[in-house]
Amino acid sequence: MKAILAAAALLLAAAPAVAQDATADITFTFQVGHPTGQIMIALYDNEAAFDDGGAPVRRAAVPVSGDTAQVVFEDLPAGDYAAKLFHDLDGDNEMDTNPFGLPAEPYAFSNNARGNMGPARWDRAHFTVAGDAAQTLDLDR
Amino acid sequence: MIPSRRSFLMGAAALSAAVVTPELAFAAAARQAVADWAPVTTDIEADIPRQTLRRVHGRVPRDLEGVLFRNGPGKFRRPGGSATHWFDGDGLMRAFRLKDGEATLEARFADTPKRRYESEIDAVVTPGFGTPGDARAHVGSPDDASSANTAVMLAGERIWALWEGGSALAMDPEDLSTVGFVTQREDLRGMPMQAHPRYDPDGTIWNIGLGENRQAIIWRLNADRSLNRAEVIELPRASYAHDFTATARHLVFVLQPWVFAGGPMPFSNRFAWRPELGTQVLVVDKDDLSSRRLYDLPTFSFFHLGDAWEDASGAIRFDVAAGRDVAFAVEGARVLVDQRGTVPGEPSQLALVTLYPDGRAEMERSGVSAEFPRGDPRRSGLRRRLTAHVTGETGGRPLPSGLAVYDWETGRSDAFEFGDDQITEEAVFVPKPGGGGEGDAWLVAPSINLAEAATELHVFDAARVADGPVCTWRAGLILPAGFHGCWAG
Repeated sequence: MKAILAAAALLLAAAPAVAQDATADITFTFQVGHPTGQIMIALYDNEAAFDDGGAPVRRAAVPVSGDTAQVVFEDLPAGDYAAKLFHDLDGDNEMDTNPFGLPAEPYAFSNNARGNMGPARWDRAHFTVAGDAAQTLDLDR
Repeated sequence: MIPSRRSFLMGAAALSAAVVTPELAFAAAARQAVADWAPVTTDIEADIPRQTLRRVHGRVPRDLEGVLFRNGPGKFRRPGGSATHWFDGDGLMRAFRLKDGEATLEARFADTPKRRYESEIDAVVTPGFGTPGDARAHVGSPDDASSANTAVMLAGERIWALWEGGSALAMDPEDLSTVGFVTQREDLRGMPMQAHPRYDPDGTIWNIGLGENRQAIIWRLNADRSLNRAEVIELPRASYAHDFTATARHLVFVLQPWVFAGGPMPFSNRFAWRPELGTQVLVVDKDDLSSRRLYDLPTFSFFHLGDAWEDASGAIRFDVAAGRDVAFAVEGARVLVDQRGTVPGEPSQLALVTLYPDGRAEMERSGVSAEFPRGDPRRSGLRRRLTAHVTGETGGRPLPSGLAVYDWETGRSDAFEFGDDQITEEAVFVPKPGGGGEGDAWLVAPSINLAEAATELHVFDAARVADGPVCTWRAGLILPAGFHGCWAG
């Protein structure tokens, strides 16, 4: 009986906290190979937008001056998300390509997902956010 | 009713006409016994620590010291899926070190993203030259698909494992550990570099990389392997080419009628063999890549060319291991990994192409079966007469069993045949110290001794190949066949 009461108390005490956490923060930490330029990242909340060039829910340009950099996307509703990003080494706000048209600046996707003969798609890059989430993404490869 | 009836009729027609589809051929092959040449594509499960080789024949030539680096596929099969084509096994770098009359051998896998990922999931899933791959593949860039398995070149304090669809992979020549992909300049990240660099007399290195849509990058590297220049040119034809060649003044592109047609992977599936188009040769001035001449030749296929040279009249000559079609490239190399059955395709033959200043082009066939042509590095891009090559391949039996030097001045082939017990690999020309003549060289080449189940290393006198090896060492293991090597003296 005492145990049940204690559990009920916990639930009651927890209720406001759950309500508060209806939004979550996603923290991305980037490991980079060059301490220059900026990381351009776009965050998506649905498959269609991510795979077919739709609008992201958030964007950020994160200055890089060391081996790592970080961005926090705050107050996001719970749900599924995926991010695509590249390291804009020369700071021209564009993903540079090599003469054959392939990316010449380091790029990555959430989950450190790799594509299959192309960019990673939602099925590999998305993750579920129920509370604060963090990922470390590798741009040094 | 109609579809099933139609299927039945078509099936019956196919049977009655005895049509052999690739599926039927492979099914038939699966019922055959494993071939005696199967070690050619044996799987190596782990890096091979350095071991001393046992000398089993002859004497070690005095003053022959150096390292033969060789690259080639070393692992094809995994429980969850396998490479199905000879060209798609994981790159295994070998080092045969000759010093103080002793020989050692070690081998280490190139640590590529492909091998790392496929080791993790224990399945080969990455599309390749002839392996379709599957939906599990992780290929975000061409380098992700690299097996780094084709050739090796010296690059200052490193060696570079070369493939053809992506960047060179730097490795350490002392312990063969992997350093990483080479990016010559940030804006050239991921641009392909092929497996057959050509050298100017002053040490300048030329290489190419091919894209779709007839584009080619021309790499010009300084002797210290730093980038001198990289330019993209457009070729007259989007042709599959594994090799190019060069004289001291010109780059030479052989454009076989195996042309880009698109479609799903594997890569070889994206090219169509169009023999009616003939084979073209494009000659480009090294100092002005817009200055070019185009020649026409009858149809032949090829993988490998010899170094080219130019005579006083301006005629350009080079040799080619010329094939009849691409049956080996498409199907034959799959049979090698199957390790049973008959390899389709005819052995290639050594031929000499001459391109005259007036626009005529000729091809002189030697009649000698040949692959992996190599010339004297002291004469790279310059007039020469000798070509070393493997030989002895017959239609019924894949891969060569002998080594030869062909003399284009006399038309004489100086050949040694090991017999069916041995499969010979590419030989490198190693100049003898002191002598400057073209024949003043050793040929150093490994072989697979099937009877002894052992890899061997042979030294031949380039001027007397028919006498047989002057020295042979034997390893305590058998490695699969490699592709290309280089000598560090």
